[in-house]
Amino acid sequence: MIRFENVTKVYEQNARPALDSVSLEINRGEFTFLVGASGSGKSTFLRLILKEDKASAGSVYVAGQNVANISSWRVPKLRRGIGVVFQDFRLLPQKNVFANVAFAMQVIGKSRSIIRETVPEVLKTVGLEGKERRMPHELSGGEQQRVAIARAVVNRPGILLADEPTGNLDPITSMGIMGVLDKINQNGTTVVMATHDDDIVNEMRRRVVELKNGKVIRDEAKALYTSMIPVVGESRRLRDASGEELNRAQGAQL
Amino acid sequence: MRLLFILGEIGGGLRRNLSMVISVVLVTFVSLTFVGAAGMLQMQINQMKGYWYDKVQVAVFLCNDGSTAVGCASGSATKEQQDNLQAMLESPAIKPYINDFQFESQAEAYTHFKEQFSNSPIVDSVSEDQLPASFRINMKNPEKYEIISETFSSQPGVETVSDQRQVLERIFSWMNGASVAAIGVAAVMIFCAVLLITTTIRLSAFSRRRETGIMRLVGASKTVIQLPFILEGVIAAVVGALLASVTLWLMAHFWLNGDLSKQFLNTPFISSTQVLVIAPVLIALGAGLAGISSLLTLRRYLKV
Repeated sequence: MIRFENVTKVYEQNARPALDSVSLEINRGEFTFLVGASGSGKSTFLRLILKEDKASAGSVYVAGQNVANISSWRVPKLRRGIGVVFQDFRLLPQKNVFANVAFAMQVIGKSRSIIRETVPEVLKTVGLEGKERRMPHELSGGEQQRVAIARAVVNRPGILLADEPTGNLDPITSMGIMGVLDKINQNGTTVVMATHDDDIVNEMRRRVVELKNGKVIRDEAKALYTSMIPVVGESRRLRDASGEELNRAQGAQL
Repeated sequence: MRLLFILGEIGGGLRRNLSMVISVVLVTFVSLTFVGAAGMLQMQINQMKGYWYDKVQVAVFLCNDGSTAVGCASGSATKEQQDNLQAMLESPAIKPYINDFQFESQAEAYTHFKEQFSNSPIVDSVSEDQLPASFRINMKNPEKYEIISETFSSQPGVETVSDQRQVLERIFSWMNGASVAAIGVAAVMIFCAVLLITTTIRLSAFSRRRETGIMRLVGASKTVIQLPFILEGVIAAVVGALLASVTLWLMAHFWLNGDLSKQFLNTPFISSTQVLVIAPVLIALGAGLAGISSLLTLRRYLKV
């Protein structure tokens, strides 16, 4: 469903690449966690799938299509096949729950009757039955994120990208959100979720792809947030680096 | 559905940026009024040309007692000189260029003078023999005035050859100058309007970046995202153009065809219906300018 072939992304010349020759395949219907420290390249990975950014080298395939070959006027079509959820929900504050979800259908020209039929269904899936008329500020964080998820999946995309969807939520609410994402995944949607939340990753036991400095350093099925296999040489490398820095500092003093 | 949606977006955008929209309306209104005024002046010039050029005459003034011109050294023009000039006018060299001519004697000139200045005290201080007799010539083509001028001005008994058209030309060149000035003001105002539209669209795009961001993510097409912004600018400009058209029409109806036509009975003024020809031009101009400037702005400030 999503395939990266030696993808490198450089934002600024001379800077460290945000993604460094990443090769990865995510199959249809998979649930994948993308973990790693801030700046490890998780968001860049998601942006490349959406063609928000262009890879500096290598190819990104989404649903069998090389996104580099998609012309700009067909990018909207690509994005209709991908739902996105963010940490900050990104709801429209002056629209109620129903209108927020319906908005995603209106802008791609769905008919009123289909909207009226589909939106309540989706709201039921995310557990917001009966809250159609609420405004976003009247909802809890967890409920707002559910609205955002409903909006992301209302057009039935094949892929759902979630960029730290539980980052603003407490652990119990987060688990509720994970239940929703799991349900969506059970219905056949491929889910890629970037996260820092170790509890969730450990609880879910799904595929984990760990990024560090733009490189994939771990790709395990049914894994935990931190690797069970100790990474040999990690501490030595750190020591070497600091030693080098020390030498450089001394050189500067001389 | 999508049309309704876009209309809704436009309505929302116009409401949210009301003060900016009003300023766009006013600036396009003023600038297009000047454009239209320039157009009206040109129409007026054409109208007057068509009307007057048929009526203007070339006048060959004969010498009278007080004449100081070289050809008048022998005093007032004699009957022979007058007959000679008449013969020349009827000669095959000149006849093809003129429609007809009349002789205006000093007595007739005095009568016309009294009519023209009936309310002025100057009439009392002018006597019949102070006014020159003249041949009034209607040209087939008024542009060929030079032929008459060259042929007659050196003839004995002729004081001067005058072309009434020259007086008109002076008026027309003044009106042309005015319309150039109007175009100049219009150009500056249009420049302001374009900048203002650009700023308005930028603000509008900025205040709605949340919506457009979401639209982009869920795969709305470029048209659906950009059209509301472009139409906002276009609608504001068209409203301005309509106001300008109405103003020009009112001007033509109540000022040109009202007050002015009563004051200048002999002047043909353009009618208010003729102004309606300008209106579609103004509307197209306003819409085009707004459309292009908003499109260019969106290219820079609204990522799709």
